[in-house]
Amino acid sequence: MKYDVTLALADKPGHLLKALEPIAKNGGNIISIIHEREKPAEGFVPVSLVLDFPSKWNLRKTIDDLKALDVAIIKSEEIIETTTVTLILIGKMDLKKLIETKFENTRITGFEVSAPSSKEACVKMELEVPTNLVETVLGELKRISKEENAILVSSV
Amino acid sequence: MKAIIVGFGFMGRDLARVLHEKSDVVAKFDGKFKVVGVSNSKGYIYEKKGLDLEKLLKTEALSDYGKSFNAGGSSLELIEKSGADLMVEATLTRIQDGEPGVTFIKEALGKGIHVVTPNKGPLVVAFKELTASAEKSGCEFLYEATVAGAVPVFSLVRECLQGDKVQRISGILNGTTNYILSKMYFEETSFELALKEAQERRICERDSTYDVDGIDATCKVVILANALMKRNVKFGDVERLGIRGITQEAVSLAKKANYAIKLVGTIDGNLQVAPKLVPINHPLCVHGTLNAVHLETDLAKEITLVGYGAGKESVSAVFNDVLTILKKTKSAA
Repeated sequence: MKYDVTLALADKPGHLLKALEPIAKNGGNIISIIHEREKPAEGFVPVSLVLDFPSKWNLRKTIDDLKALDVAIIKSEEIIETTTVTLILIGKMDLKKLIETKFENTRITGFEVSAPSSKEACVKMELEVPTNLVETVLGELKRISKEENAILVSSV
Repeated sequence: MKAIIVGFGFMGRDLARVLHEKSDVVAKFDGKFKVVGVSNSKGYIYEKKGLDLEKLLKTEALSDYGKSFNAGGSSLELIEKSGADLMVEATLTRIQDGEPGVTFIKEALGKGIHVVTPNKGPLVVAFKELTASAEKSGCEFLYEATVAGAVPVFSLVRECLQGDKVQRISGILNGTTNYILSKMYFEETSFELALKEAQERRICERDSTYDVDGIDATCKVVILANALMKRNVKFGDVERLGIRGITQEAVSLAKKANYAIKLVGTIDGNLQVAPKLVPINHPLCVHGTLNAVHLETDLAKEITLVGYGAGKESVSAVFNDVLTILKKTKSAA
């Protein structure tokens, strides 16, 4: 699991090394590190890290250890890999129902409707879907399109 | 080698023409090759010394050939008496039961006769049984023309990807639907108009169900899955949706987003034939009556083959299967 973590470190020698120790100790792998020394604020510099941990627990343990070392955590969030899914639905359908369907961590990034009131109604949707949920989301959309008597055309 | 052609319609006749016109090519593989019999539902012609292919090609009906025509004689009788080493089975495709192809192929393989067929029906209905029968009798059983016509999918995997594991196959496997969808894409015509034009140009049968509703593409998915991915699937295992519901509006919306709608057959964890959005720069995005097969394997990764999937080009695949058998039997001898 990948995480985007930003720390505020005192702009003094040795502080970066000290902050990296709990990461290694808790099984974290540093994918990237940006030490923004040109942006100091009140003696602190932001350090942005992309970290890979085997589980959320390892991240939590690392954050606790960092806090114990008086390292301030500015940001810590999971990076969710997403895939853009484009699809077309053909047939007259309840657009509100379609839009209001909630999928975990999925965003509608594009929506285009053609002839909405006719038999030939078409909707093109672009979704940003967590990569591991693409099949689930498509399965659910397939179920809705069946209910609505519409045809779902997904991409190859 | 002595050969017979069972089923003398468009394909059988075309093969006879190619065997005649390219007799020099055939002779390089087997100087003694001859076609000793042909049959259709009306009867058969048999000549032990080999048929005069030039004369045969001038006939309109087999009965025009002369004395050697056996009116009412059955193809099974020809298989029985011909003493052939090779049969090209080119009867009409019936996907309901694969007949009469299944019976003819079983009979031939049972007698130790090598078989070449462009007929999808027997492979859809009885793939496992027929390939097991071929293996048992030590015969070759080749069917290159059954999927994507002249495109050498099976030969490629058999000869050039012997150590690869085919993990996924996707393809545009029906030229008629690709023609219709291409018309809708380029000329912005309706589905109905594009279908009518395909029928007028004889790209599509009057009964368009077989193509338009994805039945033909489904047969090909079954054959590909069984032959190249060692599955044991039947027609009913494939989720199928044709292109009848595809509107001009949908094609236009897709086009604006740089996609074309194509009828795609897919074999991975699932088996499916359905209209799909294909990015215009994707190797599967071919137009007109072209077919395309995209293979994903463990070693070679991705390979795409493109070519004509039906009609007169398919004879290339049947002819190559015949030559392959001549070559193999020659090297075995």
